[in-house]
Amino acid sequence: MVTTVRHYYSVAVCYARMAIQRQLEYPLFLVSWLLMIPIAYFSGLWVLKILTDRFQSLNGWDFSQLAFIYSLGQFSHGLLVVFFITTWYIDGMVIQGEFDRLLLRPMNVFFQLVVSYVNFIGLVDLIPGTILFIYASHLVSFDWSLANILKLILIVIGGMLIRAALFICLSSVSFWTKRSSSLIGFTLNLLERTTMYPLSIYPFVLQMIFTFLIPIGFISFYPASEFLGQSSGFHIPFSMALWTPLVGIVFFVISQLTFNFGMKKYESAGS
Amino acid sequence: MLQAYWYIAKMRILTTIAYRFEVFAAVGSQMIIMLAAVYLWKTAYSGDTSSTTMQLNQIVTYTIISILLGSVFICDVQDTIYHKIREGQIAVDLYRPIMLLGSYLADDLGTMMSSVVNKVLPLFVLASLLFEVPLPDSFTSFLLFVPSCVLSYAILWLLSAIVGLVAFWVMELGNMGMVKDSIVRILSGSIVPLWFFPSSVQTVSQFLPFQYTYQTPLAIYIGEISPLDALTAMGIQFVWIAALYALLYVVWSKAKKKTLIQGG
Repeated sequence: MVTTVRHYYSVAVCYARMAIQRQLEYPLFLVSWLLMIPIAYFSGLWVLKILTDRFQSLNGWDFSQLAFIYSLGQFSHGLLVVFFITTWYIDGMVIQGEFDRLLLRPMNVFFQLVVSYVNFIGLVDLIPGTILFIYASHLVSFDWSLANILKLILIVIGGMLIRAALFICLSSVSFWTKRSSSLIGFTLNLLERTTMYPLSIYPFVLQMIFTFLIPIGFISFYPASEFLGQSSGFHIPFSMALWTPLVGIVFFVISQLTFNFGMKKYESAGS
Repeated sequence: MLQAYWYIAKMRILTTIAYRFEVFAAVGSQMIIMLAAVYLWKTAYSGDTSSTTMQLNQIVTYTIISILLGSVFICDVQDTIYHKIREGQIAVDLYRPIMLLGSYLADDLGTMMSSVVNKVLPLFVLASLLFEVPLPDSFTSFLLFVPSCVLSYAILWLLSAIVGLVAFWVMELGNMGMVKDSIVRILSGSIVPLWFFPSSVQTVSQFLPFQYTYQTPLAIYIGEISPLDALTAMGIQFVWIAALYALLYVVWSKAKKKTLIQGG
């Protein structure tokens, strides 16, 4: 057992080193991300600022609270982009036959897939999110107590698992269809639009879907409601620090089952 | 000569139709964006509306049509140039006895034609069922809207081509198009019309090309500006097209000399 863990660990470290070196090969590429990511983030925030300046609040959420929910969601997004970005490109690997390579090695396929590319540049995604969160938590006078920090960590990890699970489920579709890139774009849009605004702006049916069917609400909306004392429309017992990681783990396990089931259907497309 | 470009456009129509699954997913994506935007406005309008004279149904129409325009204004040229340079295919394309940028425009126009059928139509129907039929303010405003859209597309396409050509100089910079896209998205008024912005931003943006891409045709469509103002705005669109075309011409003639072929 210990030797297996040690073996997996050494493989992960080796891959990570290669990935980082590969990305540092193009330093200018990093510059374009440093430019691009903050512009995209702050333009999203700017829209919210303009709307709240004109209309005072969105369903009782003022600008500082909207900034809080937005930046909270960005944390788990940033982590997803660093650790799980390979799940976006499974269809490419299937079409070009690269997936065969993973199957030939005596190691867990999903593990290989994930560790094969640590998207070190994705850390850039976390920078504007962090700045924004510090600013927003100052505006809403967030209490930086140890208990709250711990809660926050659990929620961010849970949120990352929910996001990852969603992408894994959808990209498993490519084992059948050989194509999933447009679904990935769809999911990115969906996640952005549902974690950035309070879910309560949507009709009841959509709120139910994003709570029970695709549990996106647990990524940022319910936790933010709890931290800010806002009504989320549902009465949920216990803390979100418990629910978000729990939902994350369950959803992640489901995604693993989907992935393994899809892999059985996999037939190599490479020549 | 035009036959060659028409052939390229036709091939593009056929390839885009072939991937039906992609089309569904793309319509789904746009649908999510539309739902989010419309409900965001509905929520905003349930608050304090004293600072705006605009009606909710006007802004909903504005948003829906903006999303329809977004799925039809195809400017793949910037990605095409970037990828062709990275993969060295640009060399082959330069050999061909037709204008390179012209053939890329034909590509985009082909995608655009199929988008009208397989994206705009379903989205229009869905929006009409879920919200309301996004009708123009009057018949005149519709008549002015159509040519203004054509001019908008010309501005957007020229901007994309210019940004795409930057790859001839700095290949490692990645795709600068994404930076341009997020600037355009905000300053074109495609998400929030610029008249909701602070007045300083409005003043500056009058001297930038962006608001003449989405805001101008959309404001015409919902009857926010009078027919006379609409004609003036279209005049400004023309000026921008001329300026950007000149810029593209200069950049392109320099880029051709700089061509560096990667890979063999």
